[in-house]
Amino acid sequence: MKKYILSLTACLFFISFINAQVDRSKRPVPAPAPTINLSTPQSFELDNGMKVMVVRNTKLPRVRIQLRLDNPLYASQDKAGVESLLAAMLGNGTTSISKEDFNEEVDFLGASINFGSQSGFASSLSKYFDRIFELFADAAKNPLLDGEEFQKEKDKLLEALKNNKKDVSTVSRQVSSALLYGKKHPKGEFATEETVQNITLADVKNYYENFFSPENAYLVVIGDVNFSKVEALAKAHFENWPKRNVLDVSYSDPTDVQYTQINFIDMPNAVQSELVVENIVNLKMSDPDYHAVLIANSILGGDFNSYLNMNLREDKGWTYGARSSTGAGKHVTSFYASTSVRNAVTDSAVVEMLHEIKNIRENLVENDKLALAKAKYTGNFVLALERPETIANYALNIEIQNLSKDFYENYLKKINAVTAEDVKRVANKYFLVNNARIVVTGKGSEVLEGLKKIDRGDGTMIPVKYFDIYGNEVEEPNYTIAMDPSVTIETVLNNYINAIGGKGKLNDVKSVFTTAGATMQGMQLGMEMKVTSDNKMSQAILMGGMPLQKTVFDGQTGYTMAQGQKMEFDEKQLADMKEGTGLFPELDPAKATLIGMDTVDGVTAYAVGYGDSKVSFYNAETGLKIKDENTQEVNGTPMKSSILYGDYKEVGGIQFPHTMTVSAGPQEIKFEVTDIKINEGVSEEDFK
Amino acid sequence: MRKNLFTIALLLFAFTYVQAQEVAFEEYKLDNGLHVILHQDDTAPVVITSVMYQVGAKDENPERTGFAHFFEHLLFEGTENIERGEWFKIVSSYGGSNNANTSDDRTYYYELFPSNAVEVGLWMESERMLHPIINQVGVDTQNEVVKEEKRLRVDNQPYGNIFSEVKKNMFKKHPYRWSPIGSMEHLDAATLDEFLAFNEKFYVPNNATLVVAGDINVPEVKKMIQDYFGPIPRGAEVERVNIKEDPITEQINAVAYDPNIQIPAVLHAYRTPAMNTREARVLDMVSTILSDGKSSRLYKKLVDDKKMALQVSAFNVSQQDYGMYLTFALPLNNTSLEDLTKEIDEEIVKLQTELISEREFEKLQNVFENRFVNSNATIAGIAGSLATYQMLYGDINLINNEIDIYRSITREEIREAARKYLNPNQRLRLEYLPENDKQ
Repeated sequence: MKKYILSLTACLFFISFINAQVDRSKRPVPAPAPTINLSTPQSFELDNGMKVMVVRNTKLPRVRIQLRLDNPLYASQDKAGVESLLAAMLGNGTTSISKEDFNEEVDFLGASINFGSQSGFASSLSKYFDRIFELFADAAKNPLLDGEEFQKEKDKLLEALKNNKKDVSTVSRQVSSALLYGKKHPKGEFATEETVQNITLADVKNYYENFFSPENAYLVVIGDVNFSKVEALAKAHFENWPKRNVLDVSYSDPTDVQYTQINFIDMPNAVQSELVVENIVNLKMSDPDYHAVLIANSILGGDFNSYLNMNLREDKGWTYGARSSTGAGKHVTSFYASTSVRNAVTDSAVVEMLHEIKNIRENLVENDKLALAKAKYTGNFVLALERPETIANYALNIEIQNLSKDFYENYLKKINAVTAEDVKRVANKYFLVNNARIVVTGKGSEVLEGLKKIDRGDGTMIPVKYFDIYGNEVEEPNYTIAMDPSVTIETVLNNYINAIGGKGKLNDVKSVFTTAGATMQGMQLGMEMKVTSDNKMSQAILMGGMPLQKTVFDGQTGYTMAQGQKMEFDEKQLADMKEGTGLFPELDPAKATLIGMDTVDGVTAYAVGYGDSKVSFYNAETGLKIKDENTQEVNGTPMKSSILYGDYKEVGGIQFPHTMTVSAGPQEIKFEVTDIKINEGVSEEDFK
Repeated sequence: MRKNLFTIALLLFAFTYVQAQEVAFEEYKLDNGLHVILHQDDTAPVVITSVMYQVGAKDENPERTGFAHFFEHLLFEGTENIERGEWFKIVSSYGGSNNANTSDDRTYYYELFPSNAVEVGLWMESERMLHPIINQVGVDTQNEVVKEEKRLRVDNQPYGNIFSEVKKNMFKKHPYRWSPIGSMEHLDAATLDEFLAFNEKFYVPNNATLVVAGDINVPEVKKMIQDYFGPIPRGAEVERVNIKEDPITEQINAVAYDPNIQIPAVLHAYRTPAMNTREARVLDMVSTILSDGKSSRLYKKLVDDKKMALQVSAFNVSQQDYGMYLTFALPLNNTSLEDLTKEIDEEIVKLQTELISEREFEKLQNVFENRFVNSNATIAGIAGSLATYQMLYGDINLINNEIDIYRSITREEIREAARKYLNPNQRLRLEYLPENDKQ
């Protein structure tokens, strides 16, 4: 109440003010768009072929140096990992400066120098730029590649690879590339302990000789520095870098699968499944489709507001995010949609991802969504101008990707010209939902059953193939455990009966009345369940004391009542209910079949089937029932629900579970039993 | 001698540069208590609007941890004038991008826009502060999203739980003992009324700082701020956490297991003073000496020379009430975790007994100057620093002169801080092991 008065006063106080000033119910109209200035870097070429670009920006007293070697793709095959070792070894001393002195001097100047296998990067305060440039050039031209450093980096890489084996997202990324491009393709290969073991120091030196050449090199200098100074430094320190021919190997073009399939990688430690839907893309940046593909990808999964993210995150709450990317450039690349979801919704998430890809292929995008995607691109283009690197990257792309000189000047115009028809057309051309690999990395014992039952849309299932964490095809994993031949349906059921109190006690029970409670998203739920030995039951779910749902079966007919609506059981439900044997189905072994052994949350259990829709699991050690699993058809789709039983406590000489965790789809509710009455509180009235 | 001259010349040189780089700003308070900071810079047509609320994990009820982070999600659900699901669309439709983050001490929301949309950013942030819609639908949706975030960022991540383990062991009373992601059970149990109460308590103008930075017209923006934020009613005074931890007097030994790792880790954590103390900055320098760069002491010894560690690092975690100084190492070649501890301790003892060399001291000056220059590289970086210095450090001028504090720290102070704070009986030693090793 107090709050109410306070805000009321506030309203009165400010009301005239608000009226006089702004109408906050309307979005503000932005001012005219800011003008965009795209400057071009100054550039020159050295005699050895190296191209140098300079972007002067004096806002901060610092300079950055980027070296990029635009070499052909190369696969190291059984020596994959050699490029990582070279990258780690570069920038650690030169043939004339020891590693210790080199690193000490760079650190001393508060600067940094790093290399990739085909790139280099340095940054420093402008006052130390000359020296850092010199050190950087020396490290690129005359690296210290010695045995001791090699062994150390090799040990470190091997150790890191050991850790990667358990990292679900790393495995997903590596195997999805290996499957898409092929393990022998430069973009598909990845380092393993085995390939790294094969690498010698000579291999690293060879790799350096083959690829570190000014032939395809671009040097970009950005920051508080004059063009003439860079020119002088480049001539002094890079012109003497001898030109070498770079190794150029050709690879067969990767192709897509003939039909869409699931490629499953089992990782028992996964608490989330990594999902990837991917196919090959060949698209140059100069291609007329390029801008339409950018927009199509943005609409499908390039942005928070995209189809994928809105469906899987905002609507379903299954993931922290779902995204897609579509590459473009002079090398082969891919369409790649991905997300991480919890185990229970893995199959549903695959269905929804495919649904959204089909959606963008089959339906024209709505105008406001198209406008949104364009606005986002325009904004990103403007925001990127804050970084001086942007100007350098644009100029570099024009060179490397062979683009027209006015590519970036026309960029926004082209983006804004993309139509809804363009989006649909390129989606069909590049997002190949019928030739896609769906790579799922996750915990097979929990997610595989569902994945095997994803309908292609024609009543047949999407086939599943199995791979190990290295991308090798393997047999379907088997989660069932061999059973002792002396175990029969009778022994399993008898163990259970004896564990909870014995046949004599159970036969005396005519009815059980259970009261339980649960909290669901802050609300109190109650459950009252009455079951009799002659197969009558009633179950009511209450929220805040009010009935939410009630199910009643009197032995012959039954109904469900929800939100004031009564629905009589259909024939299938009736048949299922009549199959039931009341309180303890275990007393009637004739109606049960022993399916085999399984695990429930890591506990070994016997699985027993009752009819074709219910399976119960009994702890192999204690005999107690730990889980019921029910399969029901909802609108033609089989839906699985389960109840986990725990915390067995004695009531009237019989052990009853005092927690029941009910799961259906992504929902999970844990009921705690507050009261159990035997042969008490139940009358015929309850089943009407 | 030549070297000396060179250094003096450099210092003079640096002085002029740093002057040139000064971040100019203007600050004032609205009648409702909202603190406003403006920074004008027209190098690119870009603007940031951001609001920092002084509410973080440490302000939570111990039975309801994760609330501040949960709000980081919830306050995107919509307002009286912004329908549910529209927030991100609006930002995108003006070409902007936005995000938020939560720490133990504060929550920070921001939008980056092309500069013509500054009013949109102000409207949105004022909507969020004035009348966000907090209902069961939003709570339920974000509850699932937060759970996925935890699985993604924590439970499925190698070493993902290590920080939670450290905090749990380092703090017994202070709310730093839990992590911003909080407890999923607490979030499940929370009622809508509790969320509404949390909003009313913390997300009020008198508990917030608004920053507008970039290519702005200052008088125009000031008027917009008054129009959009002026009418927001002031909230009740916010009571700050004031919980003192007892000093650690003997080593805390802890073990934790992670199913996502194969390589064990050993971590040492020392409790240190609040972020705005001089000593916290001295300890920043200590961690630089030990592990910043390939020539740092720990890296050179354990990774390079002795090849005992795959990785070794030292961090100084700066926070409002207490800091933590951490050293972390992954063994290589079957080195035992005990040996790693021994080696790291040796280096700390060296810092406690010997002054660092003049050259190392000069290096520190270069490293911190470089860090200072880079921290002001983007409008977003400047906006975040302005809000942080104003709200958490209580001195906004640090954006320009914190570097002077670092410059004035002496070699003796470094030795003194190591002596005072980095002793084995003042720390946690955590062995973080692969789940497979659990017996």
